[in-house]
Amino acid sequence: MSSQKNTTTGRALSMASMGAGIAGSYVSYLLQRAFLGEAEGKIKLKSTHVRAARRMAEQMHALRGPAMKLGQMLSLQTGFLPDEVLAELATLQMEAPGMHPSLVRVQVKGSLGRDPEEIFKQFTAEPFAAASLGQVHHAVTREGQRVAVKIQYPGIRRAIENDFTLFRTFSKPAQASGHLPKSAIDEIEKQIIAETDYQREADNIEFFADRLAPLSFVKIPHVFREYTSDKVLTMSLMSGQHLEDFLAQRPSQRLRSQLGAHLFELFHFQVYEVKALHADPHWGNYLFNDDAGISLVDFGCVKYLSPEAAAYLRCVCLYPGSTSSADFRRLLETYYEQAGEKLLPGARRALIGFAESFYRKVYPPNPGNNHIFDFSDNAFLRDFLRESKNLFRTKGVITEFIFLARAEMGLYQTLHRLRARVPTSEIVRKYL
Amino acid sequence: MATRKKASTKEASTKRTPRRAATAKRPGRRAQNKAAIRKRIVTAALSLFQTKGFDATTTKAIARKAGIAEGTVFNYFRTKEDIALHFFEQEVDQAIASVRENPRLRKATLEEKLFALVHSQLEFLAPYEKFIGAAFIHALKPASPLGIFSHRAQELRHRYVGFVQELLDESLPKQRLSPLTFLAPEVFWIYYLGALLYWLHDSSPGKQNTLAFLDRSLAIGVSVLKQGKR
Repeated sequence: MSSQKNTTTGRALSMASMGAGIAGSYVSYLLQRAFLGEAEGKIKLKSTHVRAARRMAEQMHALRGPAMKLGQMLSLQTGFLPDEVLAELATLQMEAPGMHPSLVRVQVKGSLGRDPEEIFKQFTAEPFAAASLGQVHHAVTREGQRVAVKIQYPGIRRAIENDFTLFRTFSKPAQASGHLPKSAIDEIEKQIIAETDYQREADNIEFFADRLAPLSFVKIPHVFREYTSDKVLTMSLMSGQHLEDFLAQRPSQRLRSQLGAHLFELFHFQVYEVKALHADPHWGNYLFNDDAGISLVDFGCVKYLSPEAAAYLRCVCLYPGSTSSADFRRLLETYYEQAGEKLLPGARRALIGFAESFYRKVYPPNPGNNHIFDFSDNAFLRDFLRESKNLFRTKGVITEFIFLARAEMGLYQTLHRLRARVPTSEIVRKYL
Repeated sequence: MATRKKASTKEASTKRTPRRAATAKRPGRRAQNKAAIRKRIVTAALSLFQTKGFDATTTKAIARKAGIAEGTVFNYFRTKEDIALHFFEQEVDQAIASVRENPRLRKATLEEKLFALVHSQLEFLAPYEKFIGAAFIHALKPASPLGIFSHRAQELRHRYVGFVQELLDESLPKQRLSPLTFLAPEVFWIYYLGALLYWLHDSSPGKQNTLAFLDRSLAIGVSVLKQGKR
């Protein structure tokens, strides 16, 4: 028995016999869902090439898990997804299967030792929102505070690990060719696994509550540690509406632009001052208020930047000189060196191209008075995607930037949806 | 809706186990004493099964642990296998009761009720995990009184399968039933044994993988039953 367990075949056999295919894989859940009804109508085989690509994109929508993040990066390098879809992927959420009340109760009891009805004065068995890897319930504490209780789907961490093991095996050729560096897969796996620990997320919330205090328009929830574990996260209920609901009320241009400016400032403040980034930009993570305040609700995916990266970004963002100058080139080289990578000529050209045809336009270094960038025209999004793809294809991307790129794409996508007009350079200059 | 509710309460009252009916009538002191001793024997036996192993445990040791004469044990149970079977009967009975009597499950989906049933069984077994593993192996021997083919074990299975049938009946619409539905309760019994095996092998903290396994596999199973009736 034990000798069999130690062989690979033995492990494979025992995995199979134990039904690992059902519970042990995140992807299998999503596939199952796709084939057993819910997403049935959406996925239909189509024959032409373009349609095949779109179908793939639809599947990616269904696959809102780790596959989504991986797929997004692969697509940046190989261009197998249409641009609009790629941009949209940045704002989708990692999804988990829904839990019925009995499973919710078992999860809470297994994690906090008591039934949710015993812990809280009031607990709503039906969730009010999906969260990354779980779902969120309304509750009222014994002290009468209204809270949101986020509960994780069981076994999700193992499922994700299994998927990555499988993915590593299948992507050996892409790893060998350098299209999918091992370090990139490691980075993505590390980040996604980190999201399964709600204690860590609670730490993140408290960290951001402290560091974002200077931004009065940002509201961060309060964590109730006594009702929090690695699988249950209890925090104060936040005000505001999700982007879609907010836009449905036809807010004025003024309010949209104000919110856009706030989102924009929030992003750059995090990069330059906090050196850490709320890096999952999907729309469920932001709540918009009528006073142009922004409530942040999900801190599962946080990317901490190295001081070198922050310094580098600070230097290049509003770089005043010519991007083809030796000085600019040296900036790039220094940063790559610090990160332990070699700046290949292809990557250098792509970075310069990026700076020239995207950042110069959106963040002009010497703007006239009252320069405002209008995000409603989607030309800038196309530029961003084109340049990102150029860069990712050179295989010279520093892994640190994978999540930064995703967050940035999400930011632009949101600003575009808001049709915001933002004094970009003026805001960035405050933090340089 | 109202009629269904009525039906389920009627069923609940008619299908109560004899022991429950007896407790409802307030048993006399003699009966109470008997029940207490029976419980003492079972508790002592389980603790020995768990620590010493099922095979190594003798009725003598059980009697000593329970603080009674060995002869007294035989007044209640003929063999240690009887004790084990009694324990498994309790497991099934309490799980059925926990689903039937839980007001929160009245409007639950079929998946949820089945989940609650299996989870309640596993929760009951959890303190004796080591023994369950041994009993499982034991039960696979054809001649074993614990075996799944023994008379008492068959009875227990019928009770279980009957309850699963009830759950299916109240959750799935009668018309256009899939032919699979008629097999479903029996298949569910085998599924339960599989789930038990999965649970025994599950080394994840808090048996998280078992929870995911139950949830996902029940979702698949029920959706197959529902798709069949289209």
